[in-house]
Amino acid sequence: MILKWVYRGAVVMETRTEAVDLVGDDAAINLARAALFAALVGAFAYVSFPFPFSPAPVTLQVLGVFLAGILLGPVWGGVALSFYLVAGALGAPVFSGGSAGLGTLLAEPTLGYLWSYPIAAALVGGIVHRGTTLRNPREIGVATLVGAMVAGTVVIYTFGVIGMAVVLSLTLPEAFLQGAVVFLPAEAAKIVAAIGILRSDAIAAA
Amino acid sequence: MTLSYVPDDTLAHRLDPRSKLLFQVGFAAAAYAYTTPRGLVVLTAVAAAVLGLAGGGPRSLWSYRFALPFLLVAPLVAGATLGDPWFRTDRAFETSLASYRVLLVLAVAAAYVRSTPVRDSRAAIQRTVPGRAGVVLGVGVALVFRFLPLLTHDLRTTREAIAARGGDRLPVHVRMRLVATAGINRAFERADRLGVALSARCFAWNPTLPPLAFGRLDGVVLAVSVGLLVVAVV
Repeated sequence: MILKWVYRGAVVMETRTEAVDLVGDDAAINLARAALFAALVGAFAYVSFPFPFSPAPVTLQVLGVFLAGILLGPVWGGVALSFYLVAGALGAPVFSGGSAGLGTLLAEPTLGYLWSYPIAAALVGGIVHRGTTLRNPREIGVATLVGAMVAGTVVIYTFGVIGMAVVLSLTLPEAFLQGAVVFLPAEAAKIVAAIGILRSDAIAAA
Repeated sequence: MTLSYVPDDTLAHRLDPRSKLLFQVGFAAAAYAYTTPRGLVVLTAVAAAVLGLAGGGPRSLWSYRFALPFLLVAPLVAGATLGDPWFRTDRAFETSLASYRVLLVLAVAAAYVRSTPVRDSRAAIQRTVPGRAGVVLGVGVALVFRFLPLLTHDLRTTREAIAARGGDRLPVHVRMRLVATAGINRAFERADRLGVALSARCFAWNPTLPPLAFGRLDGVVLAVSVGLLVVAVV
């Protein structure tokens, strides 16, 4: 409804009163957690570890993808990584090396890895929680966790290698050689680190 | 130097974010369809003009330097063959063109990032994606922009603290665990405080957005974008 404030025949002020449709408390917390996790995955792009045999420093982004699925579940984990991609496309410096822009998702050699993140997070979450209802991560067996993260890794590298082959006009074996072989050992270290995080009592809010 | 929004009054700054986004898609489609020497010459001129109109220059591409190793190594990987003739120049040339194409699309993307404030991008999302999905996406993206510097700072102080305690000598997976644990705990603490604060301040599904309007210039950009898409597909 629009209220018009009239003084001596002239409209001096107009106010709009619309019903405010409030977001529920649970949705607000879930939304905040997903957004903060997306920002954390972006911040992980700035944390690099030198790794033996790897030509480029290894960042923790894939670890963030695994943990988004495990800690937020398949739905909000996938949403979190979608936030990450859209924010990056619109200019948040969250892609590797602090880069940003829609061009990264349209033409950069590593675009396949990025597009796979929401799918991989949802897959890891779906396997670990066996559906959309969240289970306590401490009650989940190590075999399930490792299996889910290996499945996530397969999805990420499948998308990544195909993307690199398309962008750089390479054959799939060439793209695998350039974009996957040297990085796979680091993924094993991230899976070990993820298990360590989930098995300790270090995560207060899980 | 990180690529980010720079306040200015260039032609690109006055455009609606939605036309700029569509233009990037059109440009990328044309770049994939015309990865020939002649096509790339034309597209180079377009990309340079677009970046110039946004007030940017070659320096704007510096934040994409991490893609360079991939772009430079790819032609070598493509050209190398096992057995005679050991190196195929035709394959290497094809991949060199593809590598160069990447730089052009990134230049156009840099022009968008330089010329578009976050709140306009957010308004573009919420006016394009319908219903609550659009609201969730808009809020989420705005929060990522807001909290990225804080979480980056959290992680940096954590690493410094680990290094100060001699943690550099620990195995890689242990260091990864320590950094990630601290990062997640900080992120969840911030998220829970934020969630409560949002509820307390009447966080609503129908917030007020800055106005966006298509001008005459947007009509031109939209027509060019659609033209590029048509040229790419046909």
